[in-house]
Amino acid sequence: MMLTDKQKGLIWLSAAEVSADRVQKLEQTYQSIEGIWESFGQQGGPKFQQGTQQKLAVLHSKSAIEDLCARLDKLNVRLLFQEDDEYPEQLKDISEPPYLLYYAGRIDCLAQPSIGIVGTRRASQYGRQMAESIAKGVAKAGICVVSGLAHGIDAAAHHGALAADGTTIGVLGSGINVPYPSDHRTLLRKIAGGNGLIISEYPLDAEPAGFHFPYRNRIISGLSMGVVFVEGPIKSGGMHTVNAALVQGREVFAVPGAIGTLGSEGPHAILREGARIITCAQDLLDDLGYSLEEKPYEDNQDDEELTGVQKKIVDALKVESMNIEELSASTLENTDQLISELGILEILGRVTREAGNRFTLPISKGR
Amino acid sequence: MLAKTISCGLDGVNGYPVEVEAFISNGMISFEIVGLPSAAVRESRDRIRAAISVSGYEFPFGKVTVNLAPADIKKEGTGFELAIAIALLAAKQPDQFKGLESTMLLGELSLQGKLMPIRGALAMVITAAEHGVKQVILPKHNAGECECISGIEIIPAQSLKEAYEHLTGDASVAPHQHVPYEHLLRDYESASDLKRVKGQAIARKALEVAAAGGHNMLMVGIPGSGKTMLARCLPSILPPLTYEEALETTLIHSSAGELKADARLMTERPFRSPHHNTSMPAMIGGGMRAKPGEVSLSHNGVLFLDELPEFQRATLEALRQPLEDGFVNIVRVNGQNRYQSNCMFVAGMNPCPCGNLGSKHKQCRCSPSEINRYLGKISGPLLDRIDIQVEMDSVSIDEIESTQEQESSAVVQQRVLKARQLQQKRYEQYGYFSNAQLDQRGVDKFCVMEDSAKKLLHQAVERFHISMRTYTRIRKVARTIADLAGHECIGAQDIAQAIQYRNVDGRYWR
Repeated sequence: MMLTDKQKGLIWLSAAEVSADRVQKLEQTYQSIEGIWESFGQQGGPKFQQGTQQKLAVLHSKSAIEDLCARLDKLNVRLLFQEDDEYPEQLKDISEPPYLLYYAGRIDCLAQPSIGIVGTRRASQYGRQMAESIAKGVAKAGICVVSGLAHGIDAAAHHGALAADGTTIGVLGSGINVPYPSDHRTLLRKIAGGNGLIISEYPLDAEPAGFHFPYRNRIISGLSMGVVFVEGPIKSGGMHTVNAALVQGREVFAVPGAIGTLGSEGPHAILREGARIITCAQDLLDDLGYSLEEKPYEDNQDDEELTGVQKKIVDALKVESMNIEELSASTLENTDQLISELGILEILGRVTREAGNRFTLPISKGR
Repeated sequence: MLAKTISCGLDGVNGYPVEVEAFISNGMISFEIVGLPSAAVRESRDRIRAAISVSGYEFPFGKVTVNLAPADIKKEGTGFELAIAIALLAAKQPDQFKGLESTMLLGELSLQGKLMPIRGALAMVITAAEHGVKQVILPKHNAGECECISGIEIIPAQSLKEAYEHLTGDASVAPHQHVPYEHLLRDYESASDLKRVKGQAIARKALEVAAAGGHNMLMVGIPGSGKTMLARCLPSILPPLTYEEALETTLIHSSAGELKADARLMTERPFRSPHHNTSMPAMIGGGMRAKPGEVSLSHNGVLFLDELPEFQRATLEALRQPLEDGFVNIVRVNGQNRYQSNCMFVAGMNPCPCGNLGSKHKQCRCSPSEINRYLGKISGPLLDRIDIQVEMDSVSIDEIESTQEQESSAVVQQRVLKARQLQQKRYEQYGYFSNAQLDQRGVDKFCVMEDSAKKLLHQAVERFHISMRTYTRIRKVARTIADLAGHECIGAQDIAQAIQYRNVDGRYWR
């Protein structure tokens, strides 16, 4: 691929992690990207912080840029500039669109309608299940799921989309070569190697600095029609993405939770401000005007298959999650029998087991 | 002037007879012990000299040489002192002593002439009986552990003087009463009982299954959910120790010096819960004298490791072989010792470093990577050896305050016994003892499932993405559950229950 001088200049600026708004300002001052390149190091040229200045100075040669490109090629990481056809229009609309994106995976994901699903890293099992089931549902309807590849809600959303054979985009807050968190390398490979796309505005080896992540969130909302906030406290990254979405004029959705738990405070706060309430994937699809040929989850009709005791257990769990002693008190069955029956129900997918051996009905069965 | 007595040395858990010869000749006054004595044995010269004088006898005058035969084995410990003292006195006055050639003399001497207890008395008495010795004179505090050995007279002596007078016939000491093992067993009552464990129905049942099939077990639960309490109850529901097992177990404890004074043969299965900073040699066995480690001290009993991830990784990995083979070989330059280590392995751990993950009432403060690091300390191969894994929740105040008494250990033990008998009968010709020991071939042969069970397990494999290893584990555990219920074939109910005991690794270790 032949690169124009402008593109080389952008690669140069990006390699030193010069931010999007700084590049916008510099371009105005020096008329063009090429102008920045030429005036660098001369009198009246641009001044940067010491570290950035040094990096830019080291890379300020055609051969250094070519070496960079060769390395990207070797690692199968591609570049996306704003002038490229694949660069999504909706991302150009935001106030500080990234001037260069590094990506791995299927670039056509960007052409699909997308939804951001975000939330806390310290997610509850409920939150993870909701994120996964919503992601599954929208992915089946052909919508791409965008999230931040973090632990908790983000990971659940990506997994949900992958499980439904849908597409998903992961937006990194670090270089593609040093993904954060590092134990998500397998997830990353699954996405980039399958039906998904990994993108980052940071150069290949950029460390996951703390300030990258809130800045990165504008890309998650910028790529999406709307953002679903699944779970998280009021001060959280998810909340930050929601604010970015509002600034960009995107739809905002929230999943309600139990009052009194920390993770429900964020979604509840934005619900009070007028966000749309989402209780399942279908709600979201209805709001977006999509219809599903196939229902995203199974229906609740096979109750006839259950034996008397099993029905009793399911009925008891409809009220709240219970441990075996509470179930025994509620159903008046002895614990030995309950252990076996719960095993069967679990295998049938009618009951799920949470940490500490608490039993609950799965989300998809409608609690 | 020459005299000979018999004593006994200790090599691992086995005794070997030692002949003690004393020779007094004219010459420069001296006192030498030859025959590869260790430093401790050489030190006994001063103790023996003092003990003889204080007891009112005369230390022989002249050049004194004591030989410990066989002379090519290094003699450790202080158990030869009584034999040396008597040999010296007998060399002086050979006519006074009766029956020295059929008496084994054991014991350490104090300066006052008292007999002090020694390590490994049980092994030495067994050796004596095997070599046709008629009586053993040993320290009074060691008599209890040897009382079940038949065919030999045990003379408990408190001092050199008592031993001397017994041997000369001046004042004979009454032999220690022989006690059949059954009598000991009759009086035995366990300190921990399941009836005092509140709530935790699933974990209780899991414990019963573990006991019935000899399966290793892992309990994951928040602090205070009762992991340790439950584990402590395990010895009380295992079958009572047989005489052979009691001997094996007491031998190991006796040779490690772990028995209390006046201890009797062990009737309760050992329960060892070493702290998590335990080093590898302390766990497996080793050190200069190749002492048995915790895994051998829990032979025929329970090895309980609380806070499993806090143990050093090398220590845990080293446990794999002894748990698998049931013995430890400790090799040193001058020989090797083999200690049995056939124990049930039970472990407890928190679900995360702060301990509150999954708690209904408390918020977990750990980051996902902290949790991963915590769980990562336990290796897959070790987890593979743990058939039963169970999660525990906190116990509610209602359950704690309830006065309703739970099923007692004795009742559970009866069911466990029945299941174990079934297994013994089934595996008589196949070289297994319990379901836990079944290998792949054994599983295919003995863990036969009904069609409904097969179907259910098949569904489970698809729903939970169960690996081949877990699949085998579930079948083994289901076999035990079927044995407890008296089912010939594994039924659907048995599989359903076994499913409840596998899931922890799926949730925590992805």
